[in-house]
Amino acid sequence: MIELQNITKTYGSGESRTQVLRGINLNIEEHDFVVILGASGSGKSTLLHVMSGLEKPDGGSICYDGRDITQLSDDQLTTFRKENVGFIFQQYYLLPNMTVEKNVKMGADLADNAAYAEMIEAVGLKEKRNKYPNQLSGGEQQRVSIARALAKKPNVLFLDEPTGALDEQTGRSALDYICRLYEAYGFTIVMVTHNQNIAEMAHRVVVMNSGQIAEIRTNEAVKSAYEIGW
Amino acid sequence: MRSDGERMIVGMKDAVKLVGISVIVYCAVLVCTLFLNYRMDLLTIADLLETEQEMIVYKAQKATSVIICLITGGCLLLTSVVTLCFYIKHYIDTHKKELGILKALGYGNWRIAGSFWVFGSSVLTGAGLGIVTAYVMMPALYRVQNKDALLPDLVVRYHPMLVLWMALLPTAFFSVLAIVYARIRLKVPPLRLLKEDSMPDGKARRAVAGKEQDHFLRELKRTTLWEKKILLFFMVFSSFCFSAMTQMSFSMRELASEMMGAMMMVIGLVLAVTTLFLAVTTVVRGNVKTIAMMRAFGYSQRECCQALLGVYRPAAYIGFALGTVYQYGLLRIMVDIVFRDMDGMPAYQFSVPRMLLSLVCFAVLYEILMYGYSEKMRRISIKEIMMGAE
Repeated sequence: MIELQNITKTYGSGESRTQVLRGINLNIEEHDFVVILGASGSGKSTLLHVMSGLEKPDGGSICYDGRDITQLSDDQLTTFRKENVGFIFQQYYLLPNMTVEKNVKMGADLADNAAYAEMIEAVGLKEKRNKYPNQLSGGEQQRVSIARALAKKPNVLFLDEPTGALDEQTGRSALDYICRLYEAYGFTIVMVTHNQNIAEMAHRVVVMNSGQIAEIRTNEAVKSAYEIGW
Repeated sequence: MRSDGERMIVGMKDAVKLVGISVIVYCAVLVCTLFLNYRMDLLTIADLLETEQEMIVYKAQKATSVIICLITGGCLLLTSVVTLCFYIKHYIDTHKKELGILKALGYGNWRIAGSFWVFGSSVLTGAGLGIVTAYVMMPALYRVQNKDALLPDLVVRYHPMLVLWMALLPTAFFSVLAIVYARIRLKVPPLRLLKEDSMPDGKARRAVAGKEQDHFLRELKRTTLWEKKILLFFMVFSSFCFSAMTQMSFSMRELASEMMGAMMMVIGLVLAVTTLFLAVTTVVRGNVKTIAMMRAFGYSQRECCQALLGVYRPAAYIGFALGTVYQYGLLRIMVDIVFRDMDGMPAYQFSVPRMLLSLVCFAVLYEILMYGYSEKMRRISIKEIMMGAE
């Protein structure tokens, strides 16, 4: 479904020029659960941004069902993101002046999803749907961002260090919600993390080092955060 | 010597950003100095007046000077106060973390607020330039005001009191106002300042709460419009200034002089552009994360612009209509009451073609500015926001 070929990306110029991605080749199948694992500065977040159409690579191709998104204009990329991808970020990026319900509607309206309330219920926030982000804990805010991302019915869900700002228990709970929804809705997951334990939850683990894929491991089955004992 | 902590608060660099206030004060001081100086010099010829006609012209010009000072000075003083308070609130909102850290470390509210006096320096800059420009323009104004030689010759005299009233006292007033207002805004617990996102208060929340089934974009429009009413005021004020001053400048060319007409035109344009620029810049800067998230999720450029900028368009045109009514009313009062005894005063009538010309010019200016800002929104880097490098 997603096919990356020889992806390169460089930042800066002159002496500060840094090659962040050095010829990445990767295939991700439909309904796959892929974790991109690597230390800080290994290029994993850049790979996620490039793969999701948030920014363009310098070279190579990224094909979704045969359609190369590196050739799309900004407006076409926006439409592509609207129709295909959802995001969950480490810092949540909720709209502070809107309630939980309105934040989730931000995603739902893009897919004309009138049943967005189900998603709020699915992440256990039905009682807090009229609260504002500042009235919620970090874990609850991340659950709102999960509901918002999934309310737009994405084919691929991109997660950038989704538990990075949460304590261990809250992070585990957030991941558990994601796993349950993954099983219920069957989308593809691409998650970036530096946490080895979380990597065990995925079908495949792509280990990155210095802008290159160092290793691809395959797990037998997707496990919940509780099953891997994290 | 300022401590490291105090250097984290407000500095001259921040005061430079208040160029909007400097511009408004410049316009106010320019007009008020010109006409107050003229009025003070007029008083020196009171004993030289011989005919009834001279007396009528003398009284009319004295009254006009006071009216112009009261209207221009009053409006612009009010705008400057609102703008200053807006800047301070905005400054505190965007520097919450630094201020919260200082408070947590033990810096007192008055000590932090004390550093906000520098915002008064923007008033001194504008006022100083306004006075200098006024004295440069003064001989020309005196000539134009007495071009028909209806009054004895007037000599431009320098009145030091005006420097006190037009520059020093306003600077002191604005510095104190900045300190007091900052002190009021800082009266919150440090933890609340340290929290990144501000939550709308109960009143604001009630005002913006929409129907549950409303589309997200409609909700965003409503929130954008009502959450910061001050920006709505600036939008309306900007088009109000443009409309009133440009149309009045056309009339002033006939009723008073070309010079007054040109002066009003310039002041109107400067005020309109400054306030519009201030309001739109704040809207875009305050919504950078929202724009980035909307674009990441797949909302189009057009949808983002319509929700955040397009929502102010009706307000801008309402301001234009209000400005038209205001200038008509003001000129009617001037012609019917102030100048009613003067011979040879041209009749004043509302001009539809001039109003339409002003409207077209405003529409072109407004839409060009909005286009510029929508392009600016397009250039907001999603990745930079995500990486926290705003």
